[in-house]
Amino acid sequence: MLLKVEHLKTYLRSAGKTVEAVDDVTFHIGEGETFCLVGESGSGKSITALSIMQLLPAGISSHPAGSIYLKQPRGAHDPAGYIDTLTLPERKLRTIRGSRIAMIFQEPMTSLNPVFTIGDQIIEALQLHNPDMGYAEARERTIHALTQVRIPNAARRVDDYPHHLSGGQRQRVMIAMAMACEPDLLIADEPTTALDVTVQKEILNLMQDLQARNHMGILFITHDFGVVCQIGHRLAVMHRGKIVESGTLMEVLKQPKHTYTKQLLASLPQNLKRRQQRQQHRVQTPPVPGEPWDSKSDDAAQALVDLRQLRVYFPVKRGLLHRTVDHIKAVDGVDVQISQGQILALVGESGCGKTTLGRAILRLIEPTAGDIFFSGTNITQIKRSAMRPYRRRMQIIFQDPMSSLNPRLSIATTLTEPMAVHGIGDSQEERLEIARQTLRQVQLEPRYLWRYPHEFSGGQRQRIGIARALVLNPRFIVCDEVTSSLDVSVQAEILQMLLQLRRSRQLTLLFITHDIGVVEYISDETAVMYRGRIVERGATAQICGNPHHEYTQTLLSAVPRIMM
Amino acid sequence: MSNAGTAAIPQPRIPSYVHQVLRETFARWGARFGLVWIGVLLVAAVFAPFIATSHPLLLSSDGHISSPALASLTATDVTLLVLFLTGATLVLVRMSARSKLMIFVITLVLTSILSHLMISPPQLTIYEQYREQEAQGRYQWVIHAPIPYSPQDYLRDKGDTGLEPPLGNPARRHWFGTEENGADVLSRMIHASRIALGIGFVATGIGMFIGVIIGGLMGFFSGNVDIFGMRLVEIFEAIPTLFLLLTFVAFFGRSLYIMMVIIGITGWTGYARYIRAEFLRLREQDFVQAATACGLPLYSILFRHMLPNGIAPILVAASFGVASAILAEATLSFLGLGLVGEPSWGQMLNQAVQSSSFNWWMAAFPGGAIFLTVFAYNLIGEALRDSIDPYLKK
Repeated sequence: MLLKVEHLKTYLRSAGKTVEAVDDVTFHIGEGETFCLVGESGSGKSITALSIMQLLPAGISSHPAGSIYLKQPRGAHDPAGYIDTLTLPERKLRTIRGSRIAMIFQEPMTSLNPVFTIGDQIIEALQLHNPDMGYAEARERTIHALTQVRIPNAARRVDDYPHHLSGGQRQRVMIAMAMACEPDLLIADEPTTALDVTVQKEILNLMQDLQARNHMGILFITHDFGVVCQIGHRLAVMHRGKIVESGTLMEVLKQPKHTYTKQLLASLPQNLKRRQQRQQHRVQTPPVPGEPWDSKSDDAAQALVDLRQLRVYFPVKRGLLHRTVDHIKAVDGVDVQISQGQILALVGESGCGKTTLGRAILRLIEPTAGDIFFSGTNITQIKRSAMRPYRRRMQIIFQDPMSSLNPRLSIATTLTEPMAVHGIGDSQEERLEIARQTLRQVQLEPRYLWRYPHEFSGGQRQRIGIARALVLNPRFIVCDEVTSSLDVSVQAEILQMLLQLRRSRQLTLLFITHDIGVVEYISDETAVMYRGRIVERGATAQICGNPHHEYTQTLLSAVPRIMM
Repeated sequence: MSNAGTAAIPQPRIPSYVHQVLRETFARWGARFGLVWIGVLLVAAVFAPFIATSHPLLLSSDGHISSPALASLTATDVTLLVLFLTGATLVLVRMSARSKLMIFVITLVLTSILSHLMISPPQLTIYEQYREQEAQGRYQWVIHAPIPYSPQDYLRDKGDTGLEPPLGNPARRHWFGTEENGADVLSRMIHASRIALGIGFVATGIGMFIGVIIGGLMGFFSGNVDIFGMRLVEIFEAIPTLFLLLTFVAFFGRSLYIMMVIIGITGWTGYARYIRAEFLRLREQDFVQAATACGLPLYSILFRHMLPNGIAPILVAASFGVASAILAEATLSFLGLGLVGEPSWGQMLNQAVQSSSFNWWMAAFPGGAIFLTVFAYNLIGEALRDSIDPYLKK
C-alpha cells in the first residue's frame, strides 16, 4: 500500500464553531491505482485531500484522531516502513510535498502564477527538490515533461506565460508540474470540472497514460460519476465527512448498498430519463391539436421565438483611438425557431456563444445584425421603453445562484418590484400574495419572503431565481446553465420542477447547457452550437442517438458515460 | 413595505449587511474614540448658543422672568437645533431608511425657510449690559451658561483682558485663556466647531453627490460616456483646490458657502473613480442583468440595485474626505483668508502666530481640536475600510 489513511478526523473552527469536516475516514491507495472520492459539495472530500498534503492552515484546523501513513521511498533504509504525515514537522513535510505527493487543483486559470513563464515555474519546483540539478538539465526535464503532457512544440512553449495558454493547456501544465518530480502519489481535486468535455476526455486519457508509465497512485476527487467510470479502479462515496460506502467500481455502481449512494445514483439525469419518457408519453397521447405543448401542430410561422441570421460581434479595439481592428464573432448567423411549449436545448462547449445567444434574444446584449421575432413581432430594433411589455413575456434564469440575486434586497422586494413596474397586482398586498404563491410553486415556504439572499443555500437561491422569472408570468424563459453549479440531487429536483412548471404554465424554454445527460432528460429538441453557429439541430433522441455532424459526434463521444 | 400577515410568524433574522459592517466597525477602539469625539463636537456645535454665551440662560428682573439666550438665537441656531432633535428622534423611531431621509430633508427645508422668515434677533448686542445690571442688583436671580462668554464678547467692561493664560485671572474663569482682543478662547472654539463640522459634511456631501452620479453613469454606460467622463475627471483633478479657493475668496469675498461648494466640486473625482470601478464590475453581475431583463426602469437599476452594492468604498473615501475638507478650511483661515467676524480654528491658529510672544494656549487648543477631529475621521474611515474588506478580516 502506498498510502493508508486510518480513522482520520479533521475539525475546522470558524466563528467559534467546530465543524467535523472529516469524521473517521479510512481508506488506502495502492501503487498504480486510482482511488476516487465521490461526494456532493461540502461532503469533506477536498478537506481530506488537503489533510493528506497538510495544507490546511494550522490556526483553524486540527486532527483530533487518525493517522496518514505514506510508504517510505524506494531507496530508504527501511523500505517496508511508513511515515505518518500528521506528526511530521513542517520542514520534513516540505520535502514530501511536490516530490512524493503532488497535487492538481480544480481551477487551472488561477493555479499558475501569471507573472512567471510556465517553464520557470516547473524548473523552480524541479530544482527545489533536486538541489544538485543544473539549470540546463532542469530545463531539459521540463521540456520533456511538457512533451509528455502533449503540449505541442514544447521546446518553444516552455517560455510562454500562462495567459498564452487555454484552460485545457494550463491544466496540462499543472499536471506536467506535478509529474516533473515523479511523485508516488498524485492528488487531483476535481481537475476536469472547469474544462469542456472534449478537453476533459484528453486530460483523463493523459492521466491514465502517465499513471501506466510511472506506476503512481492517484487520489481522484470528483462529483461526477461519469468521470469515475472512466478513470477509477476503486471508489468511496463521502457524505457529511464520513465514507458511507467504498469498494471497486463495479461493486458500488452496480449494487449500491447504502441509501445515500442509491439516492445519488438515482439523481443522475441518465437515471431520471426513464421517468420523463413515461411523462411525455402520457402527455402526447392522444395528441390534442392546438395544445400549446404539442409542438407538431405548430409550424415555423407560429414559432414563439424566431431568430433570423442573428449575429453578435464584439469589436476588438486597439491603439490610442480605440480603432476597431477585428471582431470576435460570438454569435455568427444563427437561425432558430422555438415553437410554443417546446424545450429547446442549446448545447456547446465554453466559448461557443451559447450564453451570448441567450442574452441577445432578451436584448441584454445588443445584436449586431439579424432579426429577433417574438410571437411575430420584430423586437431587434425597438426602443428601451417599447421593449418593456416584451420583458414581461421573456425571462432569464442564470447559472450562478450566488450572483443572480441582489444581496441587499429582501426576497419580497426582489419579487414584487418587477410586478409593480409591469402593473401586475393592484396593491402591494396583492403582489405579495402572488409572490407567496410563486414561492410555493418553486417549493419554498412563503415566510422566506422577508429573508435576504445570503440566508439561503445554492439550490434555494436558484429556486428564488426561478420564482423571480415566474412572477411576471412569462411565456418564454432562457435557462442559462441553471443546474451546472448545483449538486446532482438538487439538480434533479430543479429539473423535475422545471418540467412540471412547463406543463402547468405552458412555458417555452431555451435550455442552455453543456451537460448531455441533462439535455437528454429535459429537452424535446436539441441544437448543437459550435463557434457561433448552430451545426446540428433535431429531436433530442435523434441527435443523441445518431449524430450527423462531425463536431456533435466528437462531443457526444467525449461525454463520460456510466456503464450500468 | 408592509409585512402584514407575516407579523405573527417569529423570524430569526440574520443581521443585515449594514448592521454587520457597523457593528464590526465600532467594535474597534479607534472607531469608537472617533465616534465619541465627533459626537462631542456635534453636541457642542448644536448647543453652542446655550453652552458658551454671555446672555444669561434665565433671569428674573422685578418678578419678570426672561431668557435673553433664547431671545438672541439666530435663524441658523434654530435650524440646527430642530434638525438635531429631528435626527435624534428618527434614529430612535423604527422606520425605513428612505422615509427617514425624506422626513429629514423636509424638516431641513421647512425650518430653514421658516426660521429665516420669522426669527430676527436684535441687530446690536451689548454683552456688558447683563454684567452691569447684575452688579447693580437689578436681577433677583440669574442662571448663566457654563461658559458665560460669547465668542465676540471682548469684555470691554473689564478693561484689558487680552492674552490671559488659562485660569490666569482668579476673578474671571477662562479655561483656555483669552485671545488678543480679550474674548474667551474656549467659547470661540465651541462656536468654531460648527464651521469645522459643517464644511466637512457639506463639502463631502456635494462631492459625493456629483461623484456618484457622474461615476455611476460612466460605469453603467461605459463606452463614449466613460471616455468623456474620465476626461472630465482628469480636468477637475488638475485644478489646484487651494489656489482656486484663494482666487474665489479674493474676488467674491469670504463666504463659508462658496468654500463648501468649491471644495465639493473639486473633490468629487475620487468618488467618481470608485463608483465607476464598482459599477463596471456590478454591471456584469447576473442580478443586474436580471433587473434589466425584468424591464425595471434605469433609475431603479442604478440606484436601487447597483448603488447599495457599490457604496462601501465611497463611505471610506468620504470619511477621509471630511478630514481633508476640514484641513482645507483651516489652511485658508490660517492664511488669513477665512471668515471675518466668526471664529474658526484655523483663524485662531493664525492669531497665535501673529502675536509677538508665544502664547501656547492660542496654538495648542485650536491645533489640538483640528488634529483630534481629522484623526477621528481617519480612524472611522480606517475601521470602516477594514470591516468591509474581507481580506483584512481576522
